[in-house]
Amino acid sequence: MSIGLDEVLHVAKLAELAVNENEILRLVDQMNRIVNYVAKLDEVPGDRTAEPFLAGPKAVMLREDVEVTVPLARPPSAIAPEFLEGFFLVPRHGAMEDQ
Amino acid sequence: MTAGTAQKRGSGAATARETGARLTEAAPLNAVLHWSQDLLDAEASRVDAMPTPGALAAMPVALKDNIVTVEQPTTCASRVLEGYLSPYNATAVDRLRAAGAMIAAKTNLDEFAMGSSTEHSAFGRVKHPLDPTRVPGGSSGGSAALVAAGVVPAALGSETGGSVRQPASFCGVVGVKPTYGRVSRYGLVAFGSSLDCISVFGRTVDDAARVLSAISGPDPLDATTIDRPPMQVPKALPDLRGLTVGLPQEYFPADLDGGVATALRRTTEQIQALGGDARLVSLPNSAYAVPTYYIIAPAEAAANLARYDGVRYGKRRVGPDGDIRALYRTTRGEGFGEEVRRRILVGTYVLSAGYYDAYYKKAQQVRALIAEDFQRVFASGIDLLLTPTTPTPAFKAGEKTEDPVAMYLADIFVCSMSLAGLPAMSLPVGRSEGLPIGAQLVAPHFGEERMLAVAQVLERTLDPLAEVR
Repeated sequence: MSIGLDEVLHVAKLAELAVNENEILRLVDQMNRIVNYVAKLDEVPGDRTAEPFLAGPKAVMLREDVEVTVPLARPPSAIAPEFLEGFFLVPRHGAMEDQ
Repeated sequence: MTAGTAQKRGSGAATARETGARLTEAAPLNAVLHWSQDLLDAEASRVDAMPTPGALAAMPVALKDNIVTVEQPTTCASRVLEGYLSPYNATAVDRLRAAGAMIAAKTNLDEFAMGSSTEHSAFGRVKHPLDPTRVPGGSSGGSAALVAAGVVPAALGSETGGSVRQPASFCGVVGVKPTYGRVSRYGLVAFGSSLDCISVFGRTVDDAARVLSAISGPDPLDATTIDRPPMQVPKALPDLRGLTVGLPQEYFPADLDGGVATALRRTTEQIQALGGDARLVSLPNSAYAVPTYYIIAPAEAAANLARYDGVRYGKRRVGPDGDIRALYRTTRGEGFGEEVRRRILVGTYVLSAGYYDAYYKKAQQVRALIAEDFQRVFASGIDLLLTPTTPTPAFKAGEKTEDPVAMYLADIFVCSMSLAGLPAMSLPVGRSEGLPIGAQLVAPHFGEERMLAVAQVLERTLDPLAEVR
């Protein structure tokens, strides 16, 4: 299977990643090398199966559904560029400029 | 500095001064991203004021810069996180400090831990301490180089697919990856969440074991930690009688580097001379470990790194006319380096509609087969596996940067254990043309203590500086 330029651009859009025009052909070539390499898994027959692998404990402990103190060393006001009356201040969205 | 004698190192203040001098001397390695004498001195005052010295008594420990700390920035060697200060410490950091260790420095890495050579750092490559034209391995190359250069006796790195064992082998130090879930991931910047493990470098097995013991154990802040008590520092074994070691034939290919093959043969003979038994075994699905890893890890990375969008973290590159999508894309396109962008694209591709079954689902099927191979071998009476850690000693800088697949194959002997969540370690067992060679020991889940005890016996009886060719 090979990946073309349009497909790489489509995937970049899905990944919210700007791709520089100067690097795009190199990227297409490298993605093709990677995808062709991982296609080696096609050698493994689909009917060869094992119990699904689960990283970590078989049963994940659930935390109590109660409000707890967040273990921050600094309060949000100390790490936010702008913080006012308990709220983070963020840049105005471009689409709201007229409002 | 004498390795393995942390409890006799004297006051924190003196150690902090000595460590600062060594960090200054080691600057040409480019192994460190953040350190200051003031912070080291503050750490010394803190440990000197502790009522009891703790298990790590004033041991200076370096941290890979993808483990968050309140007092120093955490960048993951990425422009996207430049200047980021965490509002909390990783659990492993809090545990190190509670055990009396001093946080000495934050170390350089492949950006977001993606790489095998520490050449993919936004802040320049790390040099191998024995030969600056070579790489120290990766992605935890800064931590490995600092320990190998004798700057600190121990350091934390992180493993997703061998990123501590491989650089430990290249640099001639001990590198230990615990069982997945044995050490809390709280505060480790996420890359591949089903694979990530905070792991340890040490100048000696004892230093690495004591650090691993201090940071292991369940953590209510990480639901994937295992509900088991912390690992104990192993008791010294007189010999290896009663031990059965498996040699998986797939890890000893005919084209294995001559020096590596000789060093492993010498290690096997030493195990037998000490009363252990060595048997050939087979792990047939390990042949698929690298392609499996390079589907699962990028897929998880693509999801984990979606949070770096220029709004929540780091620097923001504003696009034209306040377009929010342009802001995301420009920030990510300019903020991430080449290897990270490539992996995000591969991960997005294998998860996209039409390809999910062919790649991601298939990789999960093969991951289960790889894990099952290990279970079968350990159930057959094998206590530990012995393999080379890497197919060659440290390679030259720039040798593999143009070919991502060639770079990925540097992890061929280490990523299967990560896929199976197993504990494994690299131990220096000789040198080939002056370059260190590592032997890898692999244990069943929660078999760290026995693995480290066996490694201590080998460390005591094998000269890691011996030329093996």
